[in-house]
Amino acid sequence: MDRAERRIVEALTSNPPEVSYNPYAYNEDIELLSFPVAIVLVAALANDYIKRRYALAEARRAYSLFKLENEEKIAEIAGKFGWKIRVINRQIGFIRFSFALHFIDYLKNAIAFHEKEWKLVNRMVHNGEVYLSKHDVARLLQEEVRRYIESKIDLSAEVKIPEEILKYVEKIRQICSEKIKETPLEPIPSGVVNDAFPPCIRELYEAIKSGRHVSHIGRFTLTAFLLNIGMDAESVINLFRSLADFNERITRYQIEHIAGERGSRTKYTSPKCDTLRTHGLCVGSDELCRRVKHPLTYYLRRTRALEKREKARVEE
Amino acid sequence: MIDNLVFIRNAFSRYYSENIDRVEIPKSIENREFGFTLFKEGVMVRHKGFMKPEDLKDFIKKNIPSNVFYSAAYYSVPEAKMDEKGWLGSDLFFDIDADHIPTKCNKKHDVWTCRGCGLKGRGMTPDKCPTCGGESFDDKTWPCEICLETARSETIKLIDMLMNDFGFSPEEIKCSFSGHRGYHVQIESEGILDLDSDIRKEIVDYITGTGIDALLHGLEEVRDGKTRFLVGPSLDDFGWRGRIAKGTYEFLLAATENDLRNLGLKRKIIEKILSSRDEILESWKTSGPWNLVEGLGLDGWQKILQHSATFQSAKIDTVVTVDIHRLIRLPGTLHGKTGLLKVSFPVSRIEDFDPLKEALALKGEEVKVYVDEAPAFRLGDEIFGPFEKQSVTLPLPAAVFLLCKNAAKVID
Repeated sequence: MDRAERRIVEALTSNPPEVSYNPYAYNEDIELLSFPVAIVLVAALANDYIKRRYALAEARRAYSLFKLENEEKIAEIAGKFGWKIRVINRQIGFIRFSFALHFIDYLKNAIAFHEKEWKLVNRMVHNGEVYLSKHDVARLLQEEVRRYIESKIDLSAEVKIPEEILKYVEKIRQICSEKIKETPLEPIPSGVVNDAFPPCIRELYEAIKSGRHVSHIGRFTLTAFLLNIGMDAESVINLFRSLADFNERITRYQIEHIAGERGSRTKYTSPKCDTLRTHGLCVGSDELCRRVKHPLTYYLRRTRALEKREKARVEE
Repeated sequence: MIDNLVFIRNAFSRYYSENIDRVEIPKSIENREFGFTLFKEGVMVRHKGFMKPEDLKDFIKKNIPSNVFYSAAYYSVPEAKMDEKGWLGSDLFFDIDADHIPTKCNKKHDVWTCRGCGLKGRGMTPDKCPTCGGESFDDKTWPCEICLETARSETIKLIDMLMNDFGFSPEEIKCSFSGHRGYHVQIESEGILDLDSDIRKEIVDYITGTGIDALLHGLEEVRDGKTRFLVGPSLDDFGWRGRIAKGTYEFLLAATENDLRNLGLKRKIIEKILSSRDEILESWKTSGPWNLVEGLGLDGWQKILQHSATFQSAKIDTVVTVDIHRLIRLPGTLHGKTGLLKVSFPVSRIEDFDPLKEALALKGEEVKVYVDEAPAFRLGDEIFGPFEKQSVTLPLPAAVFLLCKNAAKVID
């Protein structure tokens, strides 16, 4: 029980989060059994932040351990997760590849990483398999473990927890009360600040305003972006008014749909940078673009910078 | 005078009554959504479902739709509203259409008419009317041989990647001619059904070479004691690594001074590349051209490689593959814009498949039509036109083709 509690506390207090592994402090049985207990505790804590943090910390611990194992052992563990993987040990150019992994198992995990070396197009892919180093596979397995643990923790489950264990839950909750505080979502500044548009959105905005042709997905991107930064549906409809093929009824329907006022009631978010690149809507990045992955993040940062500048000017 | 639509509908009706078994029934028909456009209404009827092949065939025979579509997706309740259908999975689907690809014919055969001022022009439809600034056009597009050849060569590149890189077998890959200006490629294998849009997007980026970085494909500077030298991908490498090498080989084989200048290379370096072209080509047999051109370093080679990669990518319609609710034309049905059949064929036939011959499906007597304007076009082994404001007697498929394009009227 104590080790289970420690596992969670370690996850919440270490940075970057990682659960420790110390075979001298705890014997094998305790290490093994404390894990499912910790899962129950996390579920009882019923907090999404703790759940994600704990899964990540356990996954990072697993990663550290995987790296110490030999290729055959790693392949065996990966096989337990249903991966189609082979040990190959093959030298191509100056790189040594240790594994060949089926591209679907690769994509399901690599999709979470955003560095360009994880894009499939930058990998050696042959006959349905991606060629990988040991380090790559350990990293992908970390992601698989993280997803696996997250999926094991069901926050909505009504668990009947014995008094005895409830004490631990309360204790962890107290220790971590600072960490548990949900970080509030950043409020989007009210007025729409055109100067803070990222290049892609500015391009679409100018195109629509001057009545130039914009593809369907381009229109969707612009509309969802403007609605997300707080422009009301009416103003967005008016923006489209300058188009030659403007049809108020259809435009209104589509825009209200994107705003979540119709149909499925889903409020759509504009696509991320990566998606815009796929569809050829990224017009090339500026300095700030290189540091963000989403046009909305760009907008938030830029408005904040502009506000600061504005304040500085007033105080002068 | 017979109304065009009535005439086309009759021709379609005869095809479906005589050839209903050519309509290909998709796998798990009970989980697919169907959509149709009808001649009279011109609107799309969606969210249809059929439990048995016979039900679908009866529906088509009875309603004679101008276009028949089915979902690449599988649903628990295909007839329900979009968010209540219960998505079970989706085939992996690729669309290659000449509309989206720059072609050597420059689409000179296509005519656009501005809806605002009536101005007419040829080629790709402009974004904005040069006279009135309107952006709404009626366009008449034609499937010319060059357009179709371009689409074919993009399809070949796609199939090469699906087989050699992604490891799909020829039996898993279904090819078809769309009935208009492109090809469809579809994979129904178990493993890909549950892939979400994000993962499909990664596959799209792979096929279109989006986000590719030559420095992650073997191009690098290596130090050996005090000397530094470059290494790079070679022609027989796997996947994109080999593809980048092939692209570079082909680019440097034919590159003009202008091509190289557009990459931002310096004049002296361009001269050296051009004067040592033979040497460069020869070097691919050994360690590659990476250290042959004095002054051309990592940055310069990177520019050349990145540019060369673009020729190796396959120009698929990115939106279609990522969309996991897409409706696609059903093989074995007629295309309402041409009267041609969407026809499936095995991967092995992609090189010799003749779309303008094998998609001919309508049978009937010759028809006398008045043609307003049409470029020369081939159907089967015969070339028709060009026509301008004249009456001609044409075999049924050619007549229906022009009627579908709204370029002619039935006379008798």
